This record gives sequence, C-alpha cells and structure tokens, in this order.
Amino acid sequence: MRLEKCWFCSSTIYPGHGIQFVRNDAKIFRFCRSKCHKNFKMKRNPRKVKWTKAYRRLHGKDMTQDATFEFERKRNRPERYDRNVTENTLRAIKKIDKVRVDREARHHAKRMKGKKAQLQREAAKELEQSIHMVKAPAALQQEPSLTLPKLKVKAPQQQTEDNRMEE
Amino acid sequence: MAASSSSKLFRVGRSILGGLSNNAFGASRPSSELTHMDFLSQQHRTFIQMRTNLKVVDNSGAKRVMCIQALKGSKGARLGDIIVASVKEAHVGGKVKKGDVHYAVVVRAAMQRGRCDGSEVKFDDNAVVLINKQGEPIGTRVFGPVPHELRKKKHLKILSLAEHIA
Repeated sequence: MRLEKCWFCSSTIYPGHGIQFVRNDAKIFRFCRSKCHKNFKMKRNPRKVKWTKAYRRLHGKDMTQDATFEFERKRNRPERYDRNVTENTLRAIKKIDKVRVDREARHHAKRMKGKKAQLQREAAKELEQSIHMVKAPAALQQEPSLTLPKLKVKAPQQQTEDNRMEE
Repeated sequence: MAASSSSKLFRVGRSILGGLSNNAFGASRPSSELTHMDFLSQQHRTFIQMRTNLKVVDNSGAKRVMCIQALKGSKGARLGDIIVASVKEAHVGGKVKKGDVHYAVVVRAAMQRGRCDGSEVKFDDNAVVLINKQGEPIGTRVFGPVPHELRKKKHLKILSLAEHIA
C-alpha cells in the first residue's frame, strides 16, 4: 500500500480513492477526486488554479523548503519488517507532523504580519474622509465635542468612534 | 471509424471549451444548469463491443482492427478481456493481412477498470495485441504501457514483451 499524491492538487490519495490515468507515453496521472480529474481534462494548469498546492507554493503562500519535507521523499527500496523500526517510525510521524504544522503556522503569521497596522491606518483614513456620511458637517461645527481629535493618540480616537456608534 | 470520429468530436468540443472557458467561467453560473459545455466535457466511456475500432500495438502487421465479438461479457469487453477481431488495415508484408479474423486481447481501454485496492485505471485509447487460439501473441514486440490486469489473465508473454507496465 502506498499513499500517492494527487497530480493536480497535491493532496494525499488514500487507498480506494481516485482515478489513475495512464497516458500513452506511460506517464501516470493520479487524481484524488473527480474535481481534480475534471480540471485536468479541461487542460487547466495547476500552477494557475488558486486552491492547489502548486499555486500556493509558487506564490509563496505556503512553505517551500523545510527539513520536515525530506522525511516524505519517495523511497523505492522496500524495508525489511522490524517491529521496533515500525513503532519508532509511527511515533516519529506524529512528531514530525506537529513540527511541520507549527512551522507552517509561523510562516503564515510572518506573512500576515503588518496587517493589523495597515488596517488601523486604513480605518483612521476612512474616519477622516467619510465622517460626513455619519454626521452632517454642520452638526460637527455646532457641537465641538463631536469633532475628531488629532490622529496622534490612537486609543481615544477609537473611543470617540465607539461613542458615535452608540449614538 | 466510430472511435476516431468521437475522439475528434471530443477534441473539437475541448477546443470550444478552451475558448469559452476564458470568458464564461468568470461569470457566475447556477450549478444546477447542465449546459452544452458540461455535456461535452463529460464523456462517458463504455465497453468494447461489435464494430469498435481498436489500435493494434504489436508488430504483427495489422494497424487497425474491428471487434466482431467480445467473448465473456454481455455488454462488451473491458481491459484485459479477449475479443474476436477482423483486421481492417494492415502493413504490407506483415504476418497478418487485411480481412483476417483473429483473437485479440485488450491491453488499453479508455473505460476505467476497477482495481482490487479500490482505485480505478483508465488509458488514453483502445488498443489490442493479436493472439492465437492458445493465447500466445502473434507479434514479437508490444508498444506502449500495458496494465497489471494481464498477469491475472495469464498473458505473461505480453507482459514480458511490454516496455512499461502501468
């Protein structure tokens, strides 16, 4: 029994799933489900289809090089059965998976860093520019308590925004 | 040539698909709608039956062969089955001539066949290797990939001649 990878989306194909297509040049394409198979028949390039692993790796969304990937290399030599080796391998698989997941989470966090600051900047700009949609400019002039404070201090600004929402 | 014309249709359909997919797939379409395009892209492959044209992939001399009878199987032959076929096109000076009737074993079928582990295999075209009544191949070489299923059907000579076992 061997766990293969889908040619299109790179997910694992478990036994009993999927279709194998053999082209006349003896190249074998394995698909995990009909979605991938149909996309292949439509001649779509997996590197351009957003939800595939190929696209994500190519565009830097997922990790490309890592030591944990070396453990999953395809080996063609059959190993002699040894109970201890099997036990150790099973334990190691769990640990390696955990490590890989943690590293991917870190990669994702690094990718998303700076998003919070950008969102805050955008919110401040929108508040400054579109406040006329919430409160009429005449009202702002009459009641000076409702005018926007300067942008230097961020926390009070959030507070006034909340007050406005409550009104 | 039913097989070649249907495959031509499929290719034409696919090229239309290719042109249409650039603009049509961008637009949202209700999933329940089975359009002309969907019908073209889902070709359901069936058995090898009478009048099916098949490619010959050995060096026996024949090029194209038409199935006369599928032995075993009420609906038709599948991957690994034996058929009776009549030679429609042959190379000059080969071991077989046009109009001969021979047994043949299907080595590649476009219809998927289930394997014992639950997966399915399918090939790109329909191809046969001509054999005699005893099951030995007439030719001495086999081209292209052949499936594992031949081992169970005891066509070991063909497996040994094959360049790639899929």
